[in-house]
Amino acid sequence: MKIRDGMALATVLIFVGTACGPGVAPGDGTAPVQGGTLKVIGSGDVDHLDPASSYTTVAYTLNRTWTRQLVTYPASNDFNKAITIVPDVAEALPEISADGRTYTFKIRDGVRWNTTPARQVTAADFVRGLKRLANPVQPSGGISYYTGTIEGMQEFFTAFQKAPKTAAGIAQFMARNQIKGVRAVDPKTLEIRLTTKASDFLNIMALPFASPAPVEYEKYVPDGPEFRQNTISLGPYQITTYQAGRAILLNRSPAWKQEADPVRRQHVERIQIMLGQESADVVQQQLEAGTADLSWDQPVPTSAIQRMNGDPEFHVFEGSSLNPFLVFNLQSPNNNRALANAKVRQAINFAINKVAIAQIYGGPRLNTVLDGAIPPGSIGFDVDVKPYTTPGHVGDPARCRAMLAEAGVSGLTFQFPYRTTGNHPKVAQAIAADLTKCGIATTLIATSPDDFYGRYLSSVAKSREGKWDIGGPSWLPDWYGNNGRSIVVPLFYGANYAEGSTNYGAYNNPAVNATIAKALTAGSASAAETSWKQANAMIMADAPIVPLISQNVPTFHSSRVQNALYSPMSQQFDYTQLWLG
Amino acid sequence: MSLTEASAEAEHIPEQAEAVRGKGPWQLAWERLTRDRAAMVSLGVIAVIVLLALLAPVFAAITGHGPQEAFPATGLTPEGLPVGPGSGFWLGADSLGRDLFVRILYGARISLLVGLLSTLLATLFGVVVGMVAGFYGGWVDGVLARVLDVVLSFPYLLVAIVLVAVLGASVPLMILVIAFFSFAAMARVVRGQTITYKEREFIEAARSMGASKPRTMFVDVVPNLIAPVTVLATLLIPTSIVFEATLSFLGLGVDPRTPSWGAILSDSVDYYRVAPGLLIFPAVMLLLTTLAFNLLGDGIRDALDPRGEGGR
Repeated sequence: MKIRDGMALATVLIFVGTACGPGVAPGDGTAPVQGGTLKVIGSGDVDHLDPASSYTTVAYTLNRTWTRQLVTYPASNDFNKAITIVPDVAEALPEISADGRTYTFKIRDGVRWNTTPARQVTAADFVRGLKRLANPVQPSGGISYYTGTIEGMQEFFTAFQKAPKTAAGIAQFMARNQIKGVRAVDPKTLEIRLTTKASDFLNIMALPFASPAPVEYEKYVPDGPEFRQNTISLGPYQITTYQAGRAILLNRSPAWKQEADPVRRQHVERIQIMLGQESADVVQQQLEAGTADLSWDQPVPTSAIQRMNGDPEFHVFEGSSLNPFLVFNLQSPNNNRALANAKVRQAINFAINKVAIAQIYGGPRLNTVLDGAIPPGSIGFDVDVKPYTTPGHVGDPARCRAMLAEAGVSGLTFQFPYRTTGNHPKVAQAIAADLTKCGIATTLIATSPDDFYGRYLSSVAKSREGKWDIGGPSWLPDWYGNNGRSIVVPLFYGANYAEGSTNYGAYNNPAVNATIAKALTAGSASAAETSWKQANAMIMADAPIVPLISQNVPTFHSSRVQNALYSPMSQQFDYTQLWLG
Repeated sequence: MSLTEASAEAEHIPEQAEAVRGKGPWQLAWERLTRDRAAMVSLGVIAVIVLLALLAPVFAAITGHGPQEAFPATGLTPEGLPVGPGSGFWLGADSLGRDLFVRILYGARISLLVGLLSTLLATLFGVVVGMVAGFYGGWVDGVLARVLDVVLSFPYLLVAIVLVAVLGASVPLMILVIAFFSFAAMARVVRGQTITYKEREFIEAARSMGASKPRTMFVDVVPNLIAPVTVLATLLIPTSIVFEATLSFLGLGVDPRTPSWGAILSDSVDYYRVAPGLLIFPAVMLLLTTLAFNLLGDGIRDALDPRGEGGR
């Protein structure tokens, strides 16, 4: 997921934090308390309410309470446990055929829609859910994960785009067309056939995109205003009020049964999400005063983190991101195409003081300095991939100068657009200062967050014109663990570079592409890991980026919140686990 | 002080100090100015600030800290907090580990440069436009006066923000933007003064002797404008300095690496609790500079206006 400003997860603009143990599970053995209203406050609405298209961490937080998937991740303050797939609506993990391409899921008994009367969720609901991802009105942002793995999904998607953009037209198309590889064998059995083996397929099925859809959804345009007023829940909570940009209220769903849900609980009576609070400081004050329990989308403010050391309500959870990283425009005609020369890019990799970048975001407790293209917590991370590491990670400008001289390059001037929001100006200045020490001049170009991607990094024409040479984008994978498809492919797979690409620099190494393809089609996660590690080493040898830091996630909750368990995918506590003391 | 306030004060200036035997009006004015303690202290403060700005490279050499050089290892704590005043960093460091003292000195250069140059431009342009409008009258005056009204009624901060955002931030652009929004106040004052002189006997005399209109304007009118223009210009300088700081504070000023008081203040927003110096020192410098120019401007006005002496 490209990190955009204003997106809840992205702007964790933090700078302090001193030595303190990692986030500790607050579950202190006391008996759960039932009832009460969980009060959540924050600024902005979900991007989409429809799980087929919702693609932000706040939407994921909400999805957790009212939708379910075949498989999912348990909430846990142990990062490794929290990224391990467990069954959810599926009775057990699926049976996988000998060729590794057919997955057979059995639907769990007692998982019910909150319709009147309550109705068992069926395999057909999951087929409908997958079909809706390809709808022409609001196609899923994560569609490529499904078109890239499920047999016939790409064809289905292409054909669906020509269907009428009305509820009736969409329903009719879905009734008449099938995804070749997806079949409801019987109401309790779902069979999915893949184009090739994919060891991360269950991770893809654990994304909220792969939620089932009841037949009632065919009455509405996906994510339309009518849809938003008529959501149907299969989770422990149901949305009773949705007021765009103002409030989301949920209460317990009577159709949900604890014995049919191995991962969620139903402790609080109601969840009240009040929006429109733009100030992170005010949110924090309310959490500390106890007038609210959790922040919806506001980060713990910088000023607050300083006072939080050892506070039991304050936790820092491990993240896994390239946030930010420095990317080179390999297509830039500037400086006699110096950046097309791997030696120049390697030299610059030595120049950057990564500790200084981590300091901008609060120092070592809140950040992990990166050497490789893949951050810890993501598959393919390898502590030994560190070809350009410098002692203490503080950079070695002398070495950079020497390597540039060796490459016969001098007098470089880079066009360096940066976002004017958050800490981005500081990052840009820190990098520019490091490059100065290496004898490289920079022209800093202030841009809005949208222009930064749309008119510089992701624009094919502007990249080729040399409107930018280096940039500091951010990347957060859509899931953790076996996630090469969500981090290496979007950033480094060069075979399909096009407008809007997130492979900003147009890096394209056929050998790397082949290794990525091998990793994607590996039969097991361990086999995939070997290939991802290879890809990591090969990519860093070419140095298309300078990896900088991976940010951890500071979180805070009111003192009455108990059993606060973390969900890495939504970067928030799981509302369905906690109770109010 | 807003632009309109500055112009209102300047309009109180009379045509010219009356002559006294043996001493010229300028000499008298200077004597009055030297007796004004506030104005003299202000002049001293301005001199010190100018001196510090000129000596900025010397202090950079003494501390070993260039204005754009970052020292994250010594200027920041491991958590990224700026260190406070100490032997290495006289006034502490900023959020990237740069030397606050050195940056404030270089910031004075930017402030003075922008303040003086934009005032100079605004004055030149304002005098020409105001004098032409006032002297020619008729449709020329109608058009120019309406243009001035339009400029004065612009929400200047918003327009400046848009201009800088579209055209990109740079020192010359900032000077032009500030000058554009300052010249109208100057032009209006000059226009008013010119209109009153136009009917005076010495202008009639010049005209009857066959002097051309431009000659009359520049030879006969301009000398009479020097007093009010000087006062207004002195008062425009601090306004321009604050304008520059405002734009820089909003991140719309110069290149973010260039030290500027407004930019340093903006940086302090996240850190003032832990590094109050980041807020206090540039704020005090900004305050001292603008106050000094304002008091000096007041002093000059009083010196040029003997009849207003009782007011002080």
